[in-house]
Amino acid sequence: MSHEHTHAAVIGGGSWGTALAHLMAIAGVKVKLWMRSDERVAEINTSHTNSRYLRDRPIHPGVEATTDLRSTASFAETLIVAIPSSEFRSVAFEIGGCVSGDQILVSATKGFEAEHLTRMSQILREETCCRKVGAISGPNLADEVMDHHPTATVVASPMEEVVEKVGLLLAGPTLRVYGNHDLVGVEVMGALKNIVAIAAGVCAGMGYGQNSLALLLTRGLSEISRFGEALGADRMTALGLAGLGDLIATCASPLSRNNSLGRKLAAGMTLADAQADTVKVAEGVNTTYAANKHASRLGVDMPITRAVNAILFEGHKPAEMLVKLMARANRYEHNDVPIDAPRSVEGSVIDTALSVAARNRGW
Amino acid sequence: MQNALRDAAIVEVRSRVLEACLMQSQLPDGMPLDVLVNDTLYHERKRLEVDRKSTTWAEDLSFWDTIKNRLGRASDNEIKDILKSVLERFTEEIRGNFNPVLYNIATRVLPRALPMLLNAMSPKRLLQRGLPDISDTVRIQGNIQAIKRMNELGTVILTPTHVSNLDSPVIGWAIYAMGLPAFTYGAGLNLFSNPVMSLFMRNLGAYRVDRNKTAPLYKDVLKEYATVSLELGQPNLFFPAGTRVRSGKVEQRLKLGLLSSGLRAYVNNLLKKKDKPNLYIVPCTLNYHLVLEAETLIEDYLQREGKARYIILDDESTRARKILNFTQNLVNLEARITVHIGDPIDPFGNQVDPQTGASIDRHGREIDIQRYVTDRQGVPVHLPQRDRVYTAEAGESIAREFLKHNVIVSTQLVAFTLWEMLRHRHRELDMYRLIRTGDEGAGTSANILVERVLRVWQALKARDVKGELHLEEGVVQSGDAAAIVQTALRHFGTYHAKPVLARRGDRVFSEDMKLLFYYSNRLRGYGLEKELESVLKEVS
Repeated sequence: MSHEHTHAAVIGGGSWGTALAHLMAIAGVKVKLWMRSDERVAEINTSHTNSRYLRDRPIHPGVEATTDLRSTASFAETLIVAIPSSEFRSVAFEIGGCVSGDQILVSATKGFEAEHLTRMSQILREETCCRKVGAISGPNLADEVMDHHPTATVVASPMEEVVEKVGLLLAGPTLRVYGNHDLVGVEVMGALKNIVAIAAGVCAGMGYGQNSLALLLTRGLSEISRFGEALGADRMTALGLAGLGDLIATCASPLSRNNSLGRKLAAGMTLADAQADTVKVAEGVNTTYAANKHASRLGVDMPITRAVNAILFEGHKPAEMLVKLMARANRYEHNDVPIDAPRSVEGSVIDTALSVAARNRGW
Repeated sequence: MQNALRDAAIVEVRSRVLEACLMQSQLPDGMPLDVLVNDTLYHERKRLEVDRKSTTWAEDLSFWDTIKNRLGRASDNEIKDILKSVLERFTEEIRGNFNPVLYNIATRVLPRALPMLLNAMSPKRLLQRGLPDISDTVRIQGNIQAIKRMNELGTVILTPTHVSNLDSPVIGWAIYAMGLPAFTYGAGLNLFSNPVMSLFMRNLGAYRVDRNKTAPLYKDVLKEYATVSLELGQPNLFFPAGTRVRSGKVEQRLKLGLLSSGLRAYVNNLLKKKDKPNLYIVPCTLNYHLVLEAETLIEDYLQREGKARYIILDDESTRARKILNFTQNLVNLEARITVHIGDPIDPFGNQVDPQTGASIDRHGREIDIQRYVTDRQGVPVHLPQRDRVYTAEAGESIAREFLKHNVIVSTQLVAFTLWEMLRHRHRELDMYRLIRTGDEGAGTSANILVERVLRVWQALKARDVKGELHLEEGVVQSGDAAAIVQTALRHFGTYHAKPVLARRGDRVFSEDMKLLFYYSNRLRGYGLEKELESVLKEVS
């Protein structure tokens, strides 16, 4: 499909925003990339690189960087917003002043607003008049995307129009697109997997091998999918590209910023030092705080998140938290009931009598 | 709807649905006409197997038998004719009637005739006992100016909460009392079964909806009727919950079928370049101290939700006695039915400026809503999947407005407080056991109940100040907890077969746990349970 008359914009010139603009330009879409820094705008428009985030990787010359939000917003039919979650709302508010109801707004940020656990697409809804909103998520490490390694992403929206239009903008020889109507699930999984990624980084940093990583990933997936369900997500989404897919990529790759943050913590760095050590924002830090804050309200037990939260914000040592996690009661895999918990008495009268008798004998 | 307008609507509905049937039958994956008619025949015959009480049963059976016979040997053209006669039959049945003279009489007589309309009670007997005047009893409050203004600027869809069969006449009365024209609304056939009620319903602008008819074609005809009437500028009344809410909660899961008519009418209005294309949805809440059908509603809810965990305990009481008690309660206790008119929203769920009628975002910035439905060239288009999402979002906005404009009355506040106290006291019991065993005759100290009611009231007041709900004017608004408990006890003691609560000495006893649960449910959805957990858990 020809995209020569299609106009799109990416709001946010970090590594993932730049990579998305680059992908669309390759497909023939006219793309504007909005960012605040004049210096970086000049660099992208003249030398076609974004050295701060993507080192010397060449960016397609069709990408036009700009600092003018109003002209960017009115230029594009579709806007992809890739701004760190902490600044997402203020930028969305600015976007809200320049868009109309026919435009499509899609979030490419994986995170929550901690106070009310607000998802990024909800912020787009709240701060703008746009209703054609969605999210992009999946195993998409920006560096690998820029290097054209084959991968896939999920475009999620309750509206088919959004899935179709955004899907066609992004799909190319190295990127497959899958659609999903479960916007809640895709966003929640994309955000929460960063918690597990930090834990995986800690685990690797402590020198543990694949068994430990597999344990962490599986139980991590289990707790984040329970959390997702409590928020209304579809359990199947947790097993898709935006859930398991992204989890594998982030936990296995040292390129992941959350993973590398975990490694630094394991090496004894404080959170402040680890964050100061990189220019990229590790969204998992904010997400851990948000998820931990809301887990009990939602009635979801999240031991790994609690442990990561304790390491990040309460000054606990990784080794200490690991001992705690391993000392937890052994449980049934699917319902989390401790294997030595007293059984509830059920069944026929005779079954009940026998069970009670056995219990009285110490069984 | 005026008769001329209604006839025009009927003609338009038939031609639109017929055209749509023909068009889709041409599509490769469309439903051929004979399959469509057969499918409708199948649904109707299946209905007739069980729906034997229907007043038109014999007539319907013979109609569908004829259709069946004709179908067997019909050519393509004849099938089209058969489809036409099916559509004719459906539309004729739906057809309301509007008699301006009768409308005036109805609205004058309605307040006094209301108890009679609840059928089951003979008018003669009721007259002997004396009639209460509902016009003193229905309190209309909220954004009345806005609904009137929206009625001038475009077409209004009023969407009330639904707890009782009393709702339709009460809201019909409220519409009249606010000086608005008669609204069109789809009323269930059961409301037409009583001849007196039927007369009033028809003349208050109601059209007939048969909930037993499950044929998709019938539902399309109904929906299109609502759409066309809106396009003709006729204000409509929808109960978005579909049926009366069983649990007593403020409904949060809404049926969107009829609501989508609003958006479809809006797009059609744009296509026809109408002067006043806008449609405004006005949510409103109805609040009763006591709900006439509370016992049967909560029974139904518990059976459905509880399944085997819930055992029905039958307590017989006559319906006539109930209605008499109910109406006497309205008179003697000056109980009021509160109709609270909410703020208008557009068919996409955005807020609307109550003066200009323009849609606005959360920051008060004006929204050009046409752009939600136009293509790149600015031409409005119907896109069913997109529009379903818009309608779902409008439904979410309505649900939020319901909570926001819910008016808390004394019975609900006291029921909530006591239910939560009992739940904590007996936390080893699940809800169904708690309902069965109650508080085991121990009762609760009246002083402690008053103190806890005050704590709940304080939490409610904080929400009232923030605009998250309303407290009923008078005793509830005053915050005098002792008076609130006393008022609730008086109400609870008057009408239901067993008093919900009774005071003996210095203790308060819950006599009917099901109803206590039912009335407490109106306060769900505000996060009060969690916030007040430590307060309500204290040993009492």
